[in-house]
Amino acid sequence: MLNNVLMLLTVILCVLSPLLSVCQVPLAEGKSVQQTIDILHKKLEQLSAVKQGNFTVDCETYHATGNASGQPTKLLYVMHNSETPLSCLALFEGGPCLTADGNFDVLMIKLKSHFQNAKGHKVESRGSRYRYCDFLIKVGAVTMSSSARGISVEVEYCPCVVPGDCWNLMKEFMQSFLGPSIPELPSVFATKPEGLYVPADCVDTMTQYLELFSKVRKQQVLPGTTR
Amino acid sequence: MADAMNVGVNLEAFSQAISAIQALRSSVTRVFDSLKDGMKNKETLEGREKVFITEFQDNLQSVNRDLNELERLSTLVGRPSESHPLHNSGLLSLDPVQDKTPLYSQLLQAYKWSNKLPSLSRRFIRRGAELPTGFCRFHIKLQYHAGLASSLLNQQSLKRSANQMGASAKRRPKVQPSTLVLPPQYVDDVISRIGRMFPDMSIELFRPNGTSAVLLVTLGKVLKTIVVMRSLFIDRTIVRGFNENVYSEDGKLDIWSKSNYQVFQKVTDHATTALLHYQLPQMPDVVVRSFMTWLRSYIKLFQTPCQRCGKFLQEGLPPTWRDFRTLEAFHDTCRQ
Repeated sequence: MLNNVLMLLTVILCVLSPLLSVCQVPLAEGKSVQQTIDILHKKLEQLSAVKQGNFTVDCETYHATGNASGQPTKLLYVMHNSETPLSCLALFEGGPCLTADGNFDVLMIKLKSHFQNAKGHKVESRGSRYRYCDFLIKVGAVTMSSSARGISVEVEYCPCVVPGDCWNLMKEFMQSFLGPSIPELPSVFATKPEGLYVPADCVDTMTQYLELFSKVRKQQVLPGTTR
Repeated sequence: MADAMNVGVNLEAFSQAISAIQALRSSVTRVFDSLKDGMKNKETLEGREKVFITEFQDNLQSVNRDLNELERLSTLVGRPSESHPLHNSGLLSLDPVQDKTPLYSQLLQAYKWSNKLPSLSRRFIRRGAELPTGFCRFHIKLQYHAGLASSLLNQQSLKRSANQMGASAKRRPKVQPSTLVLPPQYVDDVISRIGRMFPDMSIELFRPNGTSAVLLVTLGKVLKTIVVMRSLFIDRTIVRGFNENVYSEDGKLDIWSKSNYQVFQKVTDHATTALLHYQLPQMPDVVVRSFMTWLRSYIKLFQTPCQRCGKFLQEGLPPTWRDFRTLEAFHDTCRQ
């Protein structure tokens, strides 16, 4: 099925402590998702990055029931990140967010009457985690209902807490293994009241992942000839 | 050689003790001989036993006598002088074949040389290139090595405190120089004045162990430095990231653990170099101010590219070196 896709768009996330930006990079000709991931792994290993295990980021969608008619259904997203295995994040798109512990999932089951799980809309990204000097790079395949939709690359520069300080440094690093197509500064930082020079936290990472997953959901899989 | 070693030994008693040892040996041998021989041939069993027992007792008594004699003499003999420098290997001097194997004299020379080496090297470090005249007569090899060392060290004097050295190491002054003993209040004042000079740098002063101050310097949102002072001299420094914990588990300042990030480990090394570089023994407050000015240049650690290669990253590290005069940023591999 993968081979039938003419041009699978890879969606790149770049997280900068944590900062994430989304850009679309076309896949190499004739290569599938897995092959592109392998190419990226090889480039990282050439830089002498060290593989340090795996990671998973997933996002489940819940529809809020009981809304007044005429209003659009509010969607609640519950996200998990293997970096913070004991927590989960619940957020409305563009709205308030809540950091809770793992039992929140159980709570959501109990709140079935108010929030309905849209099971077909679960998006997750799974892959390997690399460490290079003070950088953490996570390359994962984004799948929705077990069909691969793209590749996510998360780059984190650990020593720096202020995204605005190290954006150029990060761009240079990403260029070294992603090539010339570099994402722009993520919007999540532009919308903050103090702008770029406020310390970032894990909520920003997950917001960026959420934006990415939303894009993936809306993405149309193009039918086409096999290459 | 033997005379030098045996000063304090009563030679007369010594020779008597040696003969006493010989007498003791023979009496002990007699005891065992009589035991070995067993009972002599006599008419009656009683007679034989009696003779044997008396003989045995006589022998044992003679052993006892000889042992007492030896003990008495050993107290008179006295101790040999303990000043021989090579302890057991000094017994090599007893070897009479001096010409063929001059081992002892060579050993003595080597020992004296190695004894002098640390004190001489200390003097070179303090004095720079001056070679004390008395030493030149001693050993050519040491002179060569010390000359090398002094030329290397002379490039930068490591004398940080205003210690006045006497003409020879033996007359080391017992009085501490004035700049090492400063009232804590003065140190507090100097530090708070420097802290006010730089708005983006905050300095907190702690005294966890007695009178030595420990400063926690927070530079913007970039890094935190712990500076351990000795009066107004900077002794040690350790740099960690802004999000790293500076306190250990028991709530005290953790002044030993390294940073988790390679970039800050590198900056710690550079800071140690800096505190050795900025030296003015008579004006330690100027030194502290220069060090803080240098440290402040790290506010743009992640934003500045290297002045030489123009890049941000070299082997994954940003430009961590700051020139001591111009405060320009360089990668560690790009400087000079």
